Amino acid sequence: MAAPMELYCWKGDYGLPSVDVDCLTVLAYAKFAGAPLKVHKITNPWRSPTGTLPALKTSEEGSLSQPSKIIIQLRKQKYNADYDLSAKEGADTLAFVSLLEEKLLPALIYTQWVDAKNYVDVTRRWYAEHTPFPLNFLLPNRIHSRQIERLRLIRGDAILEPEEQLEKELYQDALECMTLLSQRLGSHKFFFGDSPSSLDAYVFGHLAPLLKIKLPNAKLQQHLNSLENLQQFCTNILLLYFPSDSREAPSRKSAVHSDGSDFDNEPHKRRNQILSVLFAVAAMLGYAFLSGIVTIQSSRSQLDERRHDDEDEVEEAEEE
Amino acid sequence: MSLAAEAFVSQIAAAEPWPENAMLYQPLREDQILLSDCASSLAVQAYLRMLGLPVRVHCRANAEYMSPSGKVPFIHVGNQVVSELGPIVQFTRAKGHSLSDGLDDVQRAEMKAYMELVNNMLLTAELYIQWCDENTAAEITRPRYSSPYSWPLNHILAYQKQWEVRRKMNAIGWAGKSLEQVYEDVSQCCQALSQRLGTQPFFFNKQPTELDALVFGHLFTILTTRLTTDELSEKVKSYSNLLSFCRRIEQTYFESQDRDSQSGASDYSKGPSLM
Repeated sequence: MAAPMELYCWKGDYGLPSVDVDCLTVLAYAKFAGAPLKVHKITNPWRSPTGTLPALKTSEEGSLSQPSKIIIQLRKQKYNADYDLSAKEGADTLAFVSLLEEKLLPALIYTQWVDAKNYVDVTRRWYAEHTPFPLNFLLPNRIHSRQIERLRLIRGDAILEPEEQLEKELYQDALECMTLLSQRLGSHKFFFGDSPSSLDAYVFGHLAPLLKIKLPNAKLQQHLNSLENLQQFCTNILLLYFPSDSREAPSRKSAVHSDGSDFDNEPHKRRNQILSVLFAVAAMLGYAFLSGIVTIQSSRSQLDERRHDDEDEVEEAEEE
Repeated sequence: MSLAAEAFVSQIAAAEPWPENAMLYQPLREDQILLSDCASSLAVQAYLRMLGLPVRVHCRANAEYMSPSGKVPFIHVGNQVVSELGPIVQFTRAKGHSLSDGLDDVQRAEMKAYMELVNNMLLTAELYIQWCDENTAAEITRPRYSSPYSWPLNHILAYQKQWEVRRKMNAIGWAGKSLEQVYEDVSQCCQALSQRLGTQPFFFNKQPTELDALVFGHLFTILTTRLTTDELSEKVKSYSNLLSFCRRIEQTYFESQDRDSQSGASDYSKGPSLM
């Protein structure tokens, strides 16, 4: 393998090397395994070879985009973070990754993309600000609807339940999942002894965004903050493996945080109300113009030229 | 499983003991039930038998539509209806029956993780093979699923369900997998379970837990159900400790109990036994 493999990821922010769960997982695994990757941090998924992020471009196998496949590919290239694990630990890895995917991921999708306040104030803003020009109008909404659809299909409901109930169910599972992870981790530095494995990469990928991206509706974050060992676990990995990203954190974080809280409450709501009233008035006036008043105006302008039409025009105006 | 209802249930459930006339509903055993539903149903039955709680199995063609969550099986206890293994476990715990009280925190975390492994890989693989492998879907799944309905409803419902499952596979990234890869996943999952089980009688030593019930439900059903090819059951058969685990649970909780109980409870398994 002459040329290094290339990895395409969402750009980082908030002191994270990437804002996306899957990208974070892959990045962390690559670091743990010591794989020499050429990492492209981009904000335009259309520039990735597969059209989605993350994507790994290899010379032999083409491009891969699912995190599990990327990790298997890295493992094939002898970059294996799980080399020291016993068979039973390998089994545990598989089990806990399933736990994350079934219990935590849906809540994560919900809190970032479905919860209205979080989505509008933080997630959509971030994606709209960072994606390049024509795409920034399109992409956040597209990801949004795709994530909602995904959540609906994962849950197997015909339609998503009303927000409150859905949130309660998802969060209950997610909180339990975090507690279980915390119990499993105990006072260890990593899940299996002193060196990180793929399970650590998955857990880090799922928890770090929760820890770092400040959201207005922060129930999951509060719970994570109460589990000190998990919090410590994420911070450790950030410091040890992504020192350059975590240093940029404070300024940006506080900026976002203050923005978020400014936007939270009444003024935002009232502005929306005023805007929507204005929009409705404009729409009604527009309709009125198009259907009725326009004829009067145009008839006036024609008055001088076509006197013989006068009577008809007046009748029309009276009808209106 | 609505959450408000669940909270309500757990409050009043504790007061009432388990009644004699508890009922479990599932689709028709001979003509209708599918591999995945059968596995889930058997898991719940095994769980209740491990607790020693009596339940009568009722087969209904419209079980799926009777269930509060749209998923089978569900149990009807007293005046409450609970569906799926997870909520049923919570429900019985509220009544004071639990299999996992003896575990410590780490073990409980591991148990939950392995249960999700089964749901995430085995159940999804079953769904994939049923609905996304065109041979199985055409020969077995669609005719069975739609057997209670007449033309044209049978076709509409079956294709609707198939479409829904395929979209789910799309959403979770399984759509691009080939049948071979899915068998590979099943094999990987079984290997993990086999490793975890080792030489112990149950996953957490001497006492069965809900994990044992879930694993038994799925593996036993895979082993005893005829599909277009027997590749799926072959994958399971290559792990001898899982095979003897299934046999052990079948003997302990199904055969010995059936010998001294009445006919209603004996009709549990849809395929032949492992013996």
